[in-house]
Amino acid sequence: MQTTVFDQVNETVYHETLQNGLQVYLVPKQGFSKTYAVFTTRYGSIDSHFRTRSGEEINVPDGIAHFLEHKMFEKKDRDVMHEFSKNGASCNAFTSFNRTAYLFSCTDKLDDNLNLLLDYVQDPYFTDASVEKEKGIIGQEITMYDDNPDWKVYMNLLKAMYQKYPINIEIAGTIETISHITKEYLYQCYETFYHPANMLLLVVGSFEPEAMMKLIRENQGAKEFPPAPQITRVFPEEPSAPAEAKVEAFLTVGLPKCMIGIKEKENGLTKEALLKRELTTKLVLDIAFGTSSAVYERLYDSELITESFDFDYSSEQDYAYTIIGGDTPDPERLVETIKSEMEQLKQNGIAQDDFERAKRKKIGNFLRSLNSVEFIANQFTSFKFNGNDLFSVVPTLESITREDVEKRLKEHFLTEQMAVSIVRSASPQE
Amino acid sequence: MTASTTEIAFQSSQINGMNVHILPTEKFKTTTIVTMIEQALSEEHVTKTALLAMVMKRASARFPETKRLRAHLDFLYGAIFDVDVMKKGERQILQIYMEVPNEKYLSNEASLLEQAIEFVGDMLVRPYVQDNAFSEKYLAQEKETLRKRMESLIDDKMKYANQRVTEEMCKGEPFSLLVQGRVADLPKITGQELYQYFKEVTTTNPINMFVVGDVEQQEVSEAIRKHIPLERSQVGELQIASTAKEASAEREVIDRLDVNQAKLNIGCRTQITYKDDDYPTLLLFNGILGGFPHSKLFVNVREKESLAYYAVSRLESHKGILMIMSGIDVSKYQRAVEIIKQQLDLMRQGTISDEEMSQTRATLSNQFRELLDSARGMIEFTYNGVVSGRPRKIEELLAGINEATIEDIKKVASKVTIDTIYLLRDKKGEA
Repeated sequence: MQTTVFDQVNETVYHETLQNGLQVYLVPKQGFSKTYAVFTTRYGSIDSHFRTRSGEEINVPDGIAHFLEHKMFEKKDRDVMHEFSKNGASCNAFTSFNRTAYLFSCTDKLDDNLNLLLDYVQDPYFTDASVEKEKGIIGQEITMYDDNPDWKVYMNLLKAMYQKYPINIEIAGTIETISHITKEYLYQCYETFYHPANMLLLVVGSFEPEAMMKLIRENQGAKEFPPAPQITRVFPEEPSAPAEAKVEAFLTVGLPKCMIGIKEKENGLTKEALLKRELTTKLVLDIAFGTSSAVYERLYDSELITESFDFDYSSEQDYAYTIIGGDTPDPERLVETIKSEMEQLKQNGIAQDDFERAKRKKIGNFLRSLNSVEFIANQFTSFKFNGNDLFSVVPTLESITREDVEKRLKEHFLTEQMAVSIVRSASPQE
Repeated sequence: MTASTTEIAFQSSQINGMNVHILPTEKFKTTTIVTMIEQALSEEHVTKTALLAMVMKRASARFPETKRLRAHLDFLYGAIFDVDVMKKGERQILQIYMEVPNEKYLSNEASLLEQAIEFVGDMLVRPYVQDNAFSEKYLAQEKETLRKRMESLIDDKMKYANQRVTEEMCKGEPFSLLVQGRVADLPKITGQELYQYFKEVTTTNPINMFVVGDVEQQEVSEAIRKHIPLERSQVGELQIASTAKEASAEREVIDRLDVNQAKLNIGCRTQITYKDDDYPTLLLFNGILGGFPHSKLFVNVREKESLAYYAVSRLESHKGILMIMSGIDVSKYQRAVEIIKQQLDLMRQGTISDEEMSQTRATLSNQFRELLDSARGMIEFTYNGVVSGRPRKIEELLAGINEATIEDIKKVASKVTIDTIYLLRDKKGEA
């Protein structure tokens, strides 16, 4: 077991790669009552075109990774959620574009719960009847999202930005696509993506690391796995330009919702370079549009934005984008104003003061998020999948200079990479 | 490894007329300071309190410009600061939230804690005022922001349905009010009137302040004494409306909106609130009925009948309302209501398995113990005790839950009655 101490944030990480290939990370938190464990596979909604174990290239229905996540909870003779409830644990799972995570939190019976987590995720049981039954439940989940204007404006923006890359497809699929899901498809996906070598287990909270690692080793050692498959995912070539300049949709809302996306032109960065780019871009955004910026003040004073105004940068090896926006009475004017403010900022450059302040803010916010075992668990896994350490955020932030931020501002905030998504009430046809 | 604590142990004292509760702990990398000002929920005050929260956070005497005020917060390592309102039964609470990193994780920083307390003092004692009034500019802007916030309720159909059923069910009771207030009240509130109101609530309404972090009680108390010199007069008794109300005869209300999924809300009166002896039994009742994935609603509405993605019940503990919520296809409305009523009947008959009992006890126990890992959670729990006038320890609440029998649950169940069945549905189809 490897030990890494991160002095600055007073955290220690224990790591081991098990014989079956599973990556295990332990982060004990002193004085905490709760433990949170998350078992994650590098498999999400975008992985719908790949080679199976037998070498055959297949396309599976959209939404299958999420469907598979739902079906992992049902077993021949028991329901996994009830097992966790017996131990007082609270369990859940989620599927994103590129991963599926199974998790629980508990304040008691940690050993039982951890074995339960490993065992149920490594023991698939799908039947025709249970697959059919789930279509009703997920159908209602999809319908719920269809009515959610925040989700709609976000998904539509991804569709506007990406021409071919499958993050432009709904994570849960549609009622039509999930109607084609069968238990055979589920087993094919499971066998391809749920091998321990494609997964990561993270435990954060109240436990003794040596004993915890031993328990995990023994649980995994008692199971047999076939050799790890070579996973070949097939992705379409994504052009660098956005698919559409503007997408509009209609749902009942108080004020129109408007989001501006900026699609990253170059991809393929990994590890430290990827992390540094992410943090630098987030600094640019905060300096340009944060609540203490001149731009924010002007937008708020002119009533073009409300307190819902927000921004973020999402970054993975194969895709990355900025999102800026919120509720506004006048989406078109908001877009024009943000574009011109951005050009202005590029000309004026970034003041040292603003830069230092943004950095302090980011450092403070990061420290704050380490109070939450949920945050640590979920973020740690994302970082690891991209080859980074969550706890090295502060040193990386400290290494960023004002020049880096200015360069990034000019490189990323390009008008030709922008797309806009709007959701407003009542379609013009009505 | 340090043993984890099992109880929330605030040290309470009176400072400058406020009840101050301090909890020193090494668990967190930040210090959290939460100030709660209590007001009776009423038509007279509701909009003023909500607007006051918005105007307060715009400026202070030290930082008259919002941009500078926020720049100062960034400078304090991204201090989290917000002023907001919430509803607790027939009470409206104005909450000032402040959180700063602990200096020990930062090089060369000495006084973040004191600066944070000073900042809270700016809000409570040194507001930005001209001619005995809040700034006209901020007032006008925040009226607009508050109005938009009220109108945006419709964006989230779950919240919208919940507010609508509450309005219908509690007509004539203050609890029916939206916590942000009423649009119609906004035009007539002046900067002068709002400043008078500010002075009134900071002088006479109950104020509780909570501090959680790796702090020394002595040091925090002194900083509060120095930076928050409130001139408090006798704290008045608030006129809190009675929470008790018999359920009216079961009513059905249907709203139509452009939606794909129908939202079904069933509002029940329980006649039990946080301060009552049978409150722990009510928690158990709610947990068995619809609090968890093993509960009757989840198992029957979702897993057995495949009617919904979510089917849950939630308690408004200070009002004694139990709300059942589900998202369904509108064609399944009758069926869903029928199944939900069957589950309530089973509760009344005491048809509850040993497994349901033990699962619910264990998951509730976990839920309360998890609070110990969150500053916000510990503050919230303790404040519930303060507001209700019945402070409880976590272990005491859990003991109540563990001792309650099926007979006790049947007794609670006999008090739970459906008041209003509410459906938010699409505009298509027949009435």
